[in-house]
Amino acid sequence: MFKLNRRQFGSLLGATALVGAGQPVLAQDGKTLTIRFYDDPAGYDPANIFRIENENLAFNIFSGLTTYDSQTGEIIPDLATSWETTDNKTWTFNLRKGVQWQEGYGEFTAEDVIYSYSRILDPETASPYAGEFAGLVAMEAPDPYTLIIELDSPNGSFLHSVANYHQGQIVKKEAIEAAGDQVRWQPVGTGPYYMDFIDVNSQIILKRHDDYYQGPAPIETLVFNIIKDEATATIALRNGEVDLVMRSNREENLQTLMAEGFKMNTVDNYAVAVKVFNTEFEPFADARVRKAIAHAIDYDTITQALSPSLQQGYHSLLMPWMPVYTPDVARYPYDVEAAKALLAQAGYPDGFSFKHLGTSAQGVTELQQFEIDFLSKVGVAMEMDLVDTPTFNQRRNAGEFEMATRLLPAINPDMILANYLHPDNKVPGGLNGARYDNPEVTDLMAAAKAEPDPEKAKALYVQLQQIVMDDLPYLPTYANNVFWPGKQSVIGVQPNYLAQVNFWEVDVTTS
Amino acid sequence: MIDYSLKKLVQLVITTFGVVTLVFFTLRLIPGDAASAMAGDTLSGDALEALREQMGLNEPLFRQYLDYLSSLARFDLGETITTRIPISELLLKAVPITMTIAVSTIVLTVLIAIPLGTLAAFMAHKGRKTLDNFLTGTAMILDLMPSFWTALVFLLLFSLTLGWFPASGMVSWDDPWALMQRIALPVLVLSVTQVATMARITRTSVLEILSEDYVRTARSMGWSELRVLFRHALKNAALPIVTVIGLSFGNLLNGTVIVEFIFTVPGVGNLLITGINSRDYQMVQTLIVFYALLFVTINFATDLVYRSLDPRVKF
Repeated sequence: MFKLNRRQFGSLLGATALVGAGQPVLAQDGKTLTIRFYDDPAGYDPANIFRIENENLAFNIFSGLTTYDSQTGEIIPDLATSWETTDNKTWTFNLRKGVQWQEGYGEFTAEDVIYSYSRILDPETASPYAGEFAGLVAMEAPDPYTLIIELDSPNGSFLHSVANYHQGQIVKKEAIEAAGDQVRWQPVGTGPYYMDFIDVNSQIILKRHDDYYQGPAPIETLVFNIIKDEATATIALRNGEVDLVMRSNREENLQTLMAEGFKMNTVDNYAVAVKVFNTEFEPFADARVRKAIAHAIDYDTITQALSPSLQQGYHSLLMPWMPVYTPDVARYPYDVEAAKALLAQAGYPDGFSFKHLGTSAQGVTELQQFEIDFLSKVGVAMEMDLVDTPTFNQRRNAGEFEMATRLLPAINPDMILANYLHPDNKVPGGLNGARYDNPEVTDLMAAAKAEPDPEKAKALYVQLQQIVMDDLPYLPTYANNVFWPGKQSVIGVQPNYLAQVNFWEVDVTTS
Repeated sequence: MIDYSLKKLVQLVITTFGVVTLVFFTLRLIPGDAASAMAGDTLSGDALEALREQMGLNEPLFRQYLDYLSSLARFDLGETITTRIPISELLLKAVPITMTIAVSTIVLTVLIAIPLGTLAAFMAHKGRKTLDNFLTGTAMILDLMPSFWTALVFLLLFSLTLGWFPASGMVSWDDPWALMQRIALPVLVLSVTQVATMARITRTSVLEILSEDYVRTARSMGWSELRVLFRHALKNAALPIVTVIGLSFGNLLNGTVIVEFIFTVPGVGNLLITGINSRDYQMVQTLIVFYALLFVTINFATDLVYRSLDPRVKF
């Protein structure tokens, strides 16, 4: 699958000419970074890409109109240099000039955006992300560098939909057509790196896109070696076979690497794991029972004991770095007496028993053993209902459980809120496994989305979070941290809130 | 002999058809499909349905079955459901790697286990129990070590501490020396268990033969102990050993699944795990048919070896 395109061939000739003229090759040239990749690649077509590790490569190959600041998670310009809206319904984007496509496909224009979004919406594409553009009614390009998008209803989080992620990634018509049914293996974007080589069972190589609009990346070649086993990945880093480990997620490995002085490259509070209460299961229909469960389990202690680096107890559905987050919500600190009192009020003075859906692949995790133990102290018996992973996914999507867990990583707060809380998204058919349906909250969600003034919108989001945490249809348990441990010489690795690294920011120091 | 081969061939077709049918329907009995495996945590509802349609999972089951049979009859293995890669392409790359590991393991195992087992039998026969106990004891311990655990211990010892072999990296045919280093650890790990089993069987069979009359006769003819042991005893004890070699080849194919995962060797086992996890029916079906064919072939080969070892064996 090695291919040498015209541009590469050209640069090869150029390099030879330079050497021939006795001039030094650019000092930054030839740098290579070897990175652990943790699963078989599954394709890089933005229309149907899935799983974070694949998305991370696409993030570096493609661009969106907007993108995310690696440090703050804030929306920043990408292919759009600026945008305006007065009503969250009509959005005007001013596009960047002189952006070059990879593989010699010419200059980026508004037509490319229109093609990309139309492709997502085309039923033929069958993109699972088409819903993100469901409200898009018209697109118009008065000139190649201006794009006007009309939505059917106000959507304050539309800038997330056009970000460098999934459906927001801009593709090139000619490249898509040239690739035919192999689109997923031949991605062409405008990002800092292009796809050079894939062996689906062992290795992926990305090469620097020299014409990237922000200038060429410091590292020329990114080699992703597939290493599935966590322990093997840790040894590969300690052995120097890789420079950087994409997502190390075992506490013992992290402790070893920390002790040996590796750089940990982390982002805190990436996403929150929640307990989904099926409110059709009788005890959980009563908010007092849900609150009793919340008081009964001490997640601070559990995470401290099990995985102090990777997790900490958490109290909200939204993450602290989101602009609309408020810390000012009802909290349920560990309190056995309060839990017992709430259970007694709800009519369960002697407790009750329920089944928690889990995967047989994981078995009864240490975390769940703790939960079982904590709950037994207030008389509640938690039994594990273990099934294999796809069955688990299916039953969880269908809502066939009494309690389940879910972790919904998202950078867009509306996505979390709508999925968990909107009655249209009730299971089956959505992620609202609690069957939550509070008209006040539904109205607030719509109002917050429609409000163009950030201050006023925030006030609505605050009110919404307060109501939801009083109702407690979902119990936030702990927040996850993401680790990309690497050598000290690898600098600039900053996982963003999608757990992705922007390799344009990464460099290797020689010292 | 030709009769026998023909009979085997007919059996092969029937077996394959049975395996194909059984695998096709049992796979689909398992709840969850490729679409829901792909969707994981974040998709549901319409998006999931769109994915299912695109993957062709909404076709009537019997229709899918007929399609599959007819393409199989044309030796068309199809594409993976999730990633649209021709399965024949994947197999062509994976099979040589797994085979190299399996054959290397068998060779290494035979080289170590048979002399070791024979020696242990000889010692036991002579009443020198210490060495025999030590050998059988060690073999038992090794036999009981699960391969995922052995793999991790070997990684720590040979890769991290001693630095002899890499823990990861490309498996490429371009550089035979690098290839050997890369597959050395998987081969060692797999050999450990196999050596134990084979050494035990060798010991038992040889020990039995050693008390036979003809062995005593051979000795009384003044032949050296070594010659008696290897020419007479081992050769007559060979049938059960060959059976074990055949069987252990099958076991090895199981073993490679775990070992390939830990060492990230892009072999057949790795494909199988990926296929099962992503509910890629097409891939799993094809791989299981492949395994079935392989087992039938190994049994056939074992039969042939039997016959050449002992002309009394009739088919």
